[in-house]
Amino acid sequence: MRNRLTKLLVALALTSTANAQNPIIRNQFTADPTARVFNGRVYLFPSHDIPAPEDYARKDWFCMADYHMFSSNDLVDWTDNGVIVSQEQVPWGNPKGYSMWAPDCIQHNGKYYFYFPDGAKPQEGRRGGGFGIGVAIADNLFGRGGGQLFKVQEKPVAGIGGIDPCVLQASNGKNYIFWGMGGLQGAELGEDMMSIVEGTTVRFNNLPGEGLKEGPFAFEYNGNYYLTYPSVFKNGETEQLDYAMSKNPLGPYEYKGTIMQKHQSGCWTNHHSIIQFKDQWYLFYHHNDYSPKFDKNRSACIDSLFFNADGTIREVKATKRGVGISDARKPVQIDRYSNIGGGASIEYHDTTDYFKGWYTKFPKTGSWVTYNKVDPKSSMAKNVCMKVRTKAAATMKLQLGKYVATLNIPSTNGIWKEINVATATAIPSGVSDLKLSVVKTTAPIEIDWLSLSENPRMVYFNRVQSTAAAAKPDANGFIRRWMLLEPIVKPNRSNTIYTNTYLRSHFYKKYFDNQLSIMPTDGQEVVAKPQDENGIDGEQKLKWHAVESTLFNTKLFRFSSWLEKTEYGVMFWGVTVIDCPQEIKNVRLSAGSNGASMWWLDGKEILLLEGDRRMVQDDGNSGLLTLKKGRNVLRFAVVNGPGMSDLCARFVDENGKPVTNFNITLK
Amino acid sequence: MKKSLSILLFGAALFGNVNTASAQAGYPFIHDPSTLVECDGKWFTFGTGGGGLISEDGWHWDMKAERPGGGAAPDAIKIGDRYLVVYGATGGGLNGGHSGRILTMWNKNLDPKHPDFKYTTAIEVASSDGMEDCDAIDPGILLDPNTGRMWVSYGTYWGNIRLIELDPKTGERVKGNKALDIAIDCEATDLIYKDGWYYLLGTHGTCCDGVNSTYNIVCGRSKQVTGPYLDNMGRDMKAGGGRMVVAAGDRVNGAGHFGRTVLDEGVEVASLHWEADLDQSGRSVLGIRPLLWKNGWPYCGERLKEGTYAIISERRGYSLELTVDFVRMNVQRVGGGFGRNVDPNAPVVKIPYQTLDEVKSVWPKEDIIDVRCSDYMMRPHQAWTITAVPEAGGYLSNPYFKISINGTDRVLAANDKKEVSTTEKYTGADNQLWRIEQLTDGTYRIMPKAIPGIPGINKEYVIYTTSDSNVALCKYDFNSDNSKWNLKKFE
Repeated sequence: MRNRLTKLLVALALTSTANAQNPIIRNQFTADPTARVFNGRVYLFPSHDIPAPEDYARKDWFCMADYHMFSSNDLVDWTDNGVIVSQEQVPWGNPKGYSMWAPDCIQHNGKYYFYFPDGAKPQEGRRGGGFGIGVAIADNLFGRGGGQLFKVQEKPVAGIGGIDPCVLQASNGKNYIFWGMGGLQGAELGEDMMSIVEGTTVRFNNLPGEGLKEGPFAFEYNGNYYLTYPSVFKNGETEQLDYAMSKNPLGPYEYKGTIMQKHQSGCWTNHHSIIQFKDQWYLFYHHNDYSPKFDKNRSACIDSLFFNADGTIREVKATKRGVGISDARKPVQIDRYSNIGGGASIEYHDTTDYFKGWYTKFPKTGSWVTYNKVDPKSSMAKNVCMKVRTKAAATMKLQLGKYVATLNIPSTNGIWKEINVATATAIPSGVSDLKLSVVKTTAPIEIDWLSLSENPRMVYFNRVQSTAAAAKPDANGFIRRWMLLEPIVKPNRSNTIYTNTYLRSHFYKKYFDNQLSIMPTDGQEVVAKPQDENGIDGEQKLKWHAVESTLFNTKLFRFSSWLEKTEYGVMFWGVTVIDCPQEIKNVRLSAGSNGASMWWLDGKEILLLEGDRRMVQDDGNSGLLTLKKGRNVLRFAVVNGPGMSDLCARFVDENGKPVTNFNITLK
Repeated sequence: MKKSLSILLFGAALFGNVNTASAQAGYPFIHDPSTLVECDGKWFTFGTGGGGLISEDGWHWDMKAERPGGGAAPDAIKIGDRYLVVYGATGGGLNGGHSGRILTMWNKNLDPKHPDFKYTTAIEVASSDGMEDCDAIDPGILLDPNTGRMWVSYGTYWGNIRLIELDPKTGERVKGNKALDIAIDCEATDLIYKDGWYYLLGTHGTCCDGVNSTYNIVCGRSKQVTGPYLDNMGRDMKAGGGRMVVAAGDRVNGAGHFGRTVLDEGVEVASLHWEADLDQSGRSVLGIRPLLWKNGWPYCGERLKEGTYAIISERRGYSLELTVDFVRMNVQRVGGGFGRNVDPNAPVVKIPYQTLDEVKSVWPKEDIIDVRCSDYMMRPHQAWTITAVPEAGGYLSNPYFKISINGTDRVLAANDKKEVSTTEKYTGADNQLWRIEQLTDGTYRIMPKAIPGIPGINKEYVIYTTSDSNVALCKYDFNSDNSKWNLKKFE
């Protein structure tokens, strides 16, 4: 299931994750982040922690089956460029080894060399195959359509039994490889880039510290070579990032100190890389933010790094804020604060799914957070949109540099709500630090995020209580009240396939029980199941929601956004009841949809809108129908790839005039 | 016979000069061309992703324009002695997402070779946050001729089309101006004004799918620039309404990103791109079509195709013809008494057209034969063959044409007495080349490329009816039917 989805995402030209704060990748685990700069763009090559699958016995250990590549122009917006090497592709590797530890990638003579550790194939008569360093070579980092570009070489680098490779391209024109296994080692890399020069292997045994040293990252700056590495300095403790300096690539190295202290959370490992990008140095490292109870599922983070005049490195403090400027038109996750006080704290949204992230809790008057470097981009912003949960109205203060605004926060009756709060004056554009504090409250205020924008955020749907009175169509006859099913994920990269034949076959596949007769209640669950290869993306548990659209059209895309469900590559089902006080003859259903749709009245197909459609009022209509006295069940299915799913529907008479003399119920 | 002719034509289409086909000549490759602007006698248009096209004459284009900032679907306008360029830039990530920005910048001259060519720093005038129902790219400018106020519409399928007001002096957003939603369901919009109506033109259909791209341009209109923009059915563009302005046809498909250029009173062209030109490997090319108006609605005219036409005056409905003796067709009138004394059972025969050979001998054996207007009778001296002369260059919408009597080398030519006559041999001289443009009412104006005795390229004089029967070269006047002609397929 995951695999098919990944394929879809790659095909859709790669997903973009949100603003960079720590961790920087928020939909999967990313450990041992090796960052490199190629042609002005930052590329990230992390290990890929996954929960242990069934065929992997060590449920409490690290488990890594492939490598993704990520990239960014600004360290803020990261794109997942998909899987570049997986364990099944390694000719000498164990296809079920799950030992793809820290990798590295360099650009050399117009090609890209990706170095990665893997467990060797178990051999007859021997227990384990040991570890090797594989090489995969690519001419380009991107192919058309996200194709596989890295070609894994037949054999690992000869002469290395270890993991965590790092390649240093020294100014003397030579290349050096470093790795870990029983301490740190290094050697000169042969001209083929796939062997080491005999007799050059060095073990760095003189470095202080009692415990494990691993994951070396070596680089050159200002005439100095740096060997940096995670180190258990005192037995029984966890890893810190230490470093040593030398005038020669292979040492001898002199120990200089610590780059990053042990994680306070107890996360046992840390592993890192250091790059210069646009005149600033950065430390990439990892922490287990998205897996607080299991520190072998880790996530990459970035903080700025500075050198002293003598070439030594200043200690880096791990922050939640990370680096980069946050575009304040998009939600700013203030739970990734720069500083926090007055009793404010952060909490997970969902401790069964940590990837849902955090919110900030302001328990009382005087609680505050700061978040540095935000840019509202527009100088017209007079609106603060926030996702808030509180039980009492409150007053907060927003500061952006010298700009101050008072925010009157209404009560949300204890449920999460997106609210729009107007500011008295326009928020200036430009980069400044944000501070949000509570001026007055009688109840805790919880904030998921806030954004600064010109336009208030729309509310598209209201929930319909089961006790609600029947609705009428609106003045133009549009039906706005529906029972909508959460979208069925049905990956599809394009809308060009929606021919009549395709739609007729796909709308009539069975996705869930009684799909053409069910009259569900609000909150009722169904399980959508794939029937065949061309169906939906795995088994899906979905809920029905009784809703009323605030617009004449029913913006299914926003129904998805509202419920934080999949927005593209989906199929929607909806049903409503047209309750007529008396029979209405000679009417047509007149509808529009984005994308293709099929419509049924009392189980009988009445309309198909095929092709790559946009939502246009009266785009198509049915033949003449009779709405009988009493209940008439109107049902639709809409399927869409990359589009803003939407529909509008009304009944019109023979002259195209709207029919409004009926009630709409969901019973 | 008919069959072999169509095979011949098919062959010509395959092997002929593709540049005389549907698209502009040269290297007209572009997506989302900005409204054409003229600078120092050259035409400019900018496209998505940066760059753009330059043309000396409006027909032959080269990919030599420069526009920094990248991004999507720019528009451009001349204000005073400066040019304002507006474009949309998307935010971070490879995809850009839907957080867009609309930016404006000025330039004193659009020619990269000119010393004054230098863009000012682009300033942001609108944005979208990537989540709201708007994608702030694809801007289109209107400078309202009534009020002098400047408006920009922007947005894509991803939510609403929005309208903002800019200060035409600075290119900045007018202080306190609030963006208005004016349409859904389209992209690459543009606003135009004509005769008391504001028109919003949007691109509908599927973009960027080559020969399968259904992109087309639709419009709605409003008495107020702020809308509501309603289509011919009274349907609001905020509900997806729109009346067709131009779609596929003539070996091109996927019309997108409308721009209107008024060349003269009653002479308008629409600039757009075709997603695919079937004659040029399905590449995306610049298209320029005459823009016509009917009952207050704009629509694109057809490209003028080579062929044999009757040229009929709008003034009287007479046909342009050689001043030669009328040769009667020797066909006995059937029956007398106004056709009543005809045997209804007598066999019916088809009478062939009078041929050139039947009349040529009575035509004067002179180099120059004058032209006049007279009753259209489907005769050889009224049959004008219009042939493109692409090597002679062109103007917006067409190459120059030669106009000859069908089956001969005798061509229409302007002379130094501001008259029109014919000459026996075609030499390719400028006074034998004709600019033919369809006017907003569907008629045509026909003007010589040059007039002997008047220096330079002629941009004023057209073939003009001075009486029902006589023509001369006079200044074009859209308000006089003397300036106008209809082209009717000759038969």
